[in-house]
Amino acid sequence: MYKSSSPASISFKLLVLVAIFICFVPLFPALLGLFSSAFAYLPALGLKQFSLLGFEQLIQWPGLFESILLTLLITFSSTFLAALLSFAIIQSMWQSKRWKWIETLLAPILGLPHVTFAIGFVFLFSPSGLFSRVVALLTGDSSNATWSLIHDQYGLGLIMLLTLKEIPFILLMSLALLKQLNLKQTFQTAHSLGYSTKQAWQKLILPQWLVKIRFSLFAVAAYSLSVVDIALIIGPTKPYPLAVLVWQWFNHADINHYTTASAGALLLMLLAIFTLTMIRVFEWLVVTKWRHWLTNGRYSLPLPGALSVYICYGLSLLILPILLLWSVAFRWSFPALLPTNWSFSYWIDELGYASETINNSVVIALISASIALLFAIVIHEFNVRRSRRKHSVYIPDILIALPMLAPQISLLFGLQITALLVPQPHYYLWVLWAHIIFTFPYIYLALNGAYKSYDKRLDNVALSLGLHPLKVWWKIKRPQLMPAILLAWAVGMSVSLAQYLPTLMLGAGRIATITTEAVALASGQQRRLSAIYALLQTLLPFIFFLLAVGLSRYYTNKNNQQHSARTN
Amino acid sequence: MSLTISHLSVFNNHSENDNNILIDDFSVSVDKGTVLTLMGPSGSGKSTLLSIIAGFVSPDFHYTGEILLNQKRIGSEKPENRNIGILFQDDLLFPHLSVCENLMVALPNSIKGKLRREIALQTLQQINLQHLADRSTLQISGGQKARVSVMRLLLAEPHAVLLDEPFSKLDKSLRSEFRDWLFTELKKRNLPTILVTHDNEDCPIGQTTLHWPWHKEETLDA
Repeated sequence: MYKSSSPASISFKLLVLVAIFICFVPLFPALLGLFSSAFAYLPALGLKQFSLLGFEQLIQWPGLFESILLTLLITFSSTFLAALLSFAIIQSMWQSKRWKWIETLLAPILGLPHVTFAIGFVFLFSPSGLFSRVVALLTGDSSNATWSLIHDQYGLGLIMLLTLKEIPFILLMSLALLKQLNLKQTFQTAHSLGYSTKQAWQKLILPQWLVKIRFSLFAVAAYSLSVVDIALIIGPTKPYPLAVLVWQWFNHADINHYTTASAGALLLMLLAIFTLTMIRVFEWLVVTKWRHWLTNGRYSLPLPGALSVYICYGLSLLILPILLLWSVAFRWSFPALLPTNWSFSYWIDELGYASETINNSVVIALISASIALLFAIVIHEFNVRRSRRKHSVYIPDILIALPMLAPQISLLFGLQITALLVPQPHYYLWVLWAHIIFTFPYIYLALNGAYKSYDKRLDNVALSLGLHPLKVWWKIKRPQLMPAILLAWAVGMSVSLAQYLPTLMLGAGRIATITTEAVALASGQQRRLSAIYALLQTLLPFIFFLLAVGLSRYYTNKNNQQHSARTN
Repeated sequence: MSLTISHLSVFNNHSENDNNILIDDFSVSVDKGTVLTLMGPSGSGKSTLLSIIAGFVSPDFHYTGEILLNQKRIGSEKPENRNIGILFQDDLLFPHLSVCENLMVALPNSIKGKLRREIALQTLQQINLQHLADRSTLQISGGQKARVSVMRLLLAEPHAVLLDEPFSKLDKSLRSEFRDWLFTELKKRNLPTILVTHDNEDCPIGQTTLHWPWHKEETLDA
């Protein structure tokens, strides 16, 4: 689009290069660093010879095998349940009277950060949690419950939490997919062939949905496999899931554990590849290899759609109230359903201490989300331009999505090794850098729809009127993309605000954010403080979402006013 | 077999004035092996009429009156239990299924196992498309798609057939050939058929055609 030698063209190309250097290029040394440290080659730590030491230590670790099995159990069951129940919900509620509610509540439920959700979950399901209290009141037996979903041996609590938290995500991703599927006419045709609505869903829509939802399931599985923060809060401890083990080795005072951690991080990466392959194989078996069931007639299975949505939404909507209650509970003895004494002193005392942490979190999020947003726009523009020519190089989606699909702790290992090459520690800079890498794919994906639906002919019309390309972008394209850009920015803010591992690993534990504090407090005994930080963790991204929505309304109104002013 | 519409009135739910009647007290009967053609401009309610007969509910309209298939009232039956096949202007083959599988989907549940594919292949042979059996529906031509969707509809063993402008998206050159073939197939199976269209050329010769506004109480002789 640009003439190849104009200053605008040169600066655009420069920006593309910078974006590539910050967002993608580090992924290669990150992978390289992961491999080299796994094979105990760490010049910065004085280890200058490749060896299998790390793997030897890893294999000798008692309970490693159990930990791997447990990790896979958690990953596969939560991904499978989330997919199955999401489909069940869509099947039984789609276009029903309650569907509108399901759609409206989706955004606020998705807006709950995972860590907040986990802390609320603890308050609901711990032995002295709300459910135990209800059970105690109903049965009259006020001795503490003997069961617990928190830190339980098989990770049932973690599986349940992951399933509940991912259902709204899969529902959201499905909304866009289902619009492509021509549902109304498919149902009319199916009915005229004698298929009931339920049979049409399962025999005709399910196989098409499953193929299209693949990427979302990859993201869900990769997240479940490698999650550390919420696994620390409610996950199993005997043994720990593999990602948590790696994190503990990494933090171990004994430097020898570092090689074990590296080998573990590589193992986790291999497990991620295995998991995603298995999901793809499962899909292939169901939709291609064993496709006999698609055409064997009018049959369907009962699926608990309504029940699933009530449980998922009900529990999600309970999280904030229970956190609020705990944050102002002075005395709350078991099994009372409400606190007996109330106090706002925790809020008042803590906000003084928390202000610096809040400040830190917001500054990091503002800088990293804004830079990542700029890069995402630049890469989108680059890909749009490239797609017009045949056989040209563009940035593939899989590379953009890599930070979402690879275990975070494995990538961070590599990033940290890369950072160790720089002699002086610049923790703040490194943390910003890591945040940019992990917020970038979310921002990029959030812009996808707007970029796809933008009518490129408008650009051509404006250019042919003699406008400068930069002016075309600023005056024509940007105003139309503005609502999406603002929303993507808010998504980036919320992703950055929720980062746990990148902040701790590249900040060497020196930089505290709301999320790192919330996780640290959740494993302690300070329920009130834990509740306060969990609430703050929700409140911050919420403020930026409100800001984005407000600004985007303002822009839409302004566009409309200009439009009507011209037409009048 | 016959399809009868008795005193059917259709009302528009969104109409702002009092004149919300889309179809006023319409009665007609279609005998087996005959085709009733309803002509009308867009907005005359002809597609709505087919939706009501097929049982597709919509928040946009409601109706009074009776629909009878073989002297049985079907107005309160679910659409999948009505045994009424419908053909739209789009072929609406299922994109995730091959040509052959699109036919297998329609076979009655009583046909099981390998027999399903065998019957589907035989059906393809009847329309000279057996070589396309395992193709994706995206890889075959418009005329081929149209014939496959007709055979799919017939394999579901309907007791009556509704045609919602099924020729309007076909090339002129294919149209008359496909039309003649379709009416022959329907005649062979002795099915009562309602065709709605806005094109005079689509009306089958020697059959009843009603022009909008359709006359009430029209009876047909085959």
